[in-house]
Amino acid sequence: MIRLPLVLFFSAVLFSTGVYGVLARRNGVLVLMSIELMLNAVNVNLVAFSQYVRDIGGQVFALFVIAVAAAEVGIGLAIVILIFRNRESINVDEVSLLKW
Amino acid sequence: MNPTIDYHAILPELILSGTLVVVLVVDVFLRPPRKWLAMPLSFAGVLAAFVATLTLIGADRTTFGGSYHVDPFAVLFKVFFLSVAMIVLFLSLRYFREGRYYQGEYYFLLLSSVLGCVMMPSSRDLLMLFISLELVSAPAFLIAAFRKNDPRSNEAGLKFFLIGVLSSAVMLYGMSLIYGVTGSTNLYEIGKALAGHLGGQETLALAAILFVVTGFAFKVSAFPFQFWAPDTYEGAPVPVTAFLASASKAAGFTGLLQLMFVAFIHQAAFWGPVFAAFSIFTMSIGNLVALQQRQAVRLLAYSSIAQAGYMLLPFALAGHGVDKEAFAAAVTYILIYAIMNLGAFAVVVAVSRKSSALLIADFAGLMRNAPLLALAMTIFMVSLAGVPPTAGFWGKFFVFRAGIDAGGIGIALAVVMVVNSVISLFYYLAIPRQMILVEGPEEPMRSPALVTFVAALAAAAVIAVFVYPDLIAHFPPLSTLVGS
Amino acid sequence: MAELIVFWVFAPLAVASGIAMLLQRNAVYSALFLVVNFFALAVFFLMLGAEFLFAVQIIVYAGAIMVLFLFVIMLLGVDREERLVEPIRWQRPLGIFLGVGITAEIFAAVRAGVGFAAKAPGGFALVNQGGNAQAIAKVLFTDYFLPFEITSILLIVAAVAAMVLAHRRRGAVSGPPPAGPARPQPDREAEVAG
Repeated sequence: MIRLPLVLFFSAVLFSTGVYGVLARRNGVLVLMSIELMLNAVNVNLVAFSQYVRDIGGQVFALFVIAVAAAEVGIGLAIVILIFRNRESINVDEVSLLKW
Repeated sequence: MNPTIDYHAILPELILSGTLVVVLVVDVFLRPPRKWLAMPLSFAGVLAAFVATLTLIGADRTTFGGSYHVDPFAVLFKVFFLSVAMIVLFLSLRYFREGRYYQGEYYFLLLSSVLGCVMMPSSRDLLMLFISLELVSAPAFLIAAFRKNDPRSNEAGLKFFLIGVLSSAVMLYGMSLIYGVTGSTNLYEIGKALAGHLGGQETLALAAILFVVTGFAFKVSAFPFQFWAPDTYEGAPVPVTAFLASASKAAGFTGLLQLMFVAFIHQAAFWGPVFAAFSIFTMSIGNLVALQQRQAVRLLAYSSIAQAGYMLLPFALAGHGVDKEAFAAAVTYILIYAIMNLGAFAVVVAVSRKSSALLIADFAGLMRNAPLLALAMTIFMVSLAGVPPTAGFWGKFFVFRAGIDAGGIGIALAVVMVVNSVISLFYYLAIPRQMILVEGPEEPMRSPALVTFVAALAAAAVIAVFVYPDLIAHFPPLSTLVGS
Repeated sequence: MAELIVFWVFAPLAVASGIAMLLQRNAVYSALFLVVNFFALAVFFLMLGAEFLFAVQIIVYAGAIMVLFLFVIMLLGVDREERLVEPIRWQRPLGIFLGVGITAEIFAAVRAGVGFAAKAPGGFALVNQGGNAQAIAKVLFTDYFLPFEITSILLIVAAVAAMVLAHRRRGAVSGPPPAGPARPQPDREAEVAG
């Protein structure tokens, strides 16, 4: 059995990578992917805790996170395509007509 | 195994879900000139849900294993959200009909977001809160980008979307840690677990609370997470902005109220100062930037950031022995704010028919061209500044009194709030000044009857609440969510 | 012991693929690294007693969501390289600072905390008794039935999103033509010039 702190540390690194990606990348699609990375860190947490507190609720929660993430990706990519058609650019700060 | 479901408790939600599916299907069979019929259909559904909610007054029902709770707090906010939905529907009809938008889809998305709002105050489970919040914001991302051909609207949608999803991820990370520390997702269970001995996990619990609060700070546009709001508000269609600034924001606050005052209340000594900082910076920055705005929607956006600062203030008072009073003050403020803000946006919708740039200068001469609208707008601006004889005064008064009663940091916060209210007078009065004192082109303005009706109704409500504050202030203290 | 080996193989793999994803210039490579990351995490789920999520992770994430990402990247043009020179100076240092800060925060918090609450005695096998999928279904269709139904509305919203935003109607445009720029926009002109 792996000790829980190890898993938590791992998920924290994963989450931080995602945070960095959101701030550092400018491509809208890549920002979205970085957010997916963060959501996956959340899922790792939930599943690990689910095992350690011996409660299935965490896994169900993770299932919902995956479902909602799928919906979010659908919406996000639709917005990205819309912007691309109007501006021929998907870079987050290149589309900055308004201030970021 | 069949779940035991209390169908009466979730009747409003069931009616709304049914309506939004019907709207989507009926839209397919409507010919383009008749697409606007989706609005009366949506209105009927919201009205039915409203009536269903009224039958739940005084109820105290839990269902779905305690994750969904219909109590006075929830019913109060459900009634409020459904009222806001009806008003936004009124504001939307002409705007979306004349602009040749995708009307059926718009009303479907609006109703979905309203459904999320209505579920929010009943959600007493982290998972339920998360799903409600997503349902509030996911459709909102889309209707913010609904002016498809305008790059500014597209970007409003993208920025809102990225911030929304990012804040969800941060909030979820905190929620996952809370679940790990307490072993439960139920708010009441979490509250109980966090009250007891945590066996060396206090730090982790506090870190988790910090993540959750940060996630919500994005949603309610608290400083330093407020930068998306002005751009999104400016880029979105005006009726959508009205919805975002009132219902969507209030939904964020209901979630925050439940989390803080039910689940995390025992850690108030830790998060109280965090909220104090949020509150001071949010109201000050919002007001100072608002002073420099020349565009009406941007001005209202910064005003709504400043107003969020006032709403965050009562959170900072938790744990000072005035929990119930602070809670009631926050709820009262949110309700009053929404009424006056919606009214102001109704007038902006009317003016947007004349000039889509919506500069403050475009309000010039409104007093002569549309005296009723100008008078209503003056009332809303005075009310947002918190000056009698308007409802806004009572909103600020209750928050102020709670601050004084809390003593210590509460008094300091109350003073900062008063100073900020005085500063805010300068920009709030800029619009009435423009309308009354500055000569504009003389052209009688014809605003849609429904929009004028909403503005007049809201103005009447703002005055009426000043005369009888109990019209609103009577209800929040009935909430059983917070012990005295 | 076997679990520890699996952990030390897949955890670095997941982190490395996550970082590689961020450092890639080409979005397609980034997407492929993300798939590697998703697979590594799926293995974790299996190891932590979540067989159902293991399958869902591969089918939904590595399958459906990644295909969606790749499809959109291809649609927008693969050769569209991103300038990695940062125009907003403070964002990258802030990203590093926040990333390190969060990791340190969790590390400190976890080290301080020992011994997590255990609800049911007898290990996770008891919870998973009769199969992991059944255990999930039992909770999903009782206590979490409402969010389950609400998620379906969320998915309709996503479908409507694709329809409304990506659809181009001939003639009947959505919304009035954009209003003239309300304010001067020096940033844009500077960008064109540079």
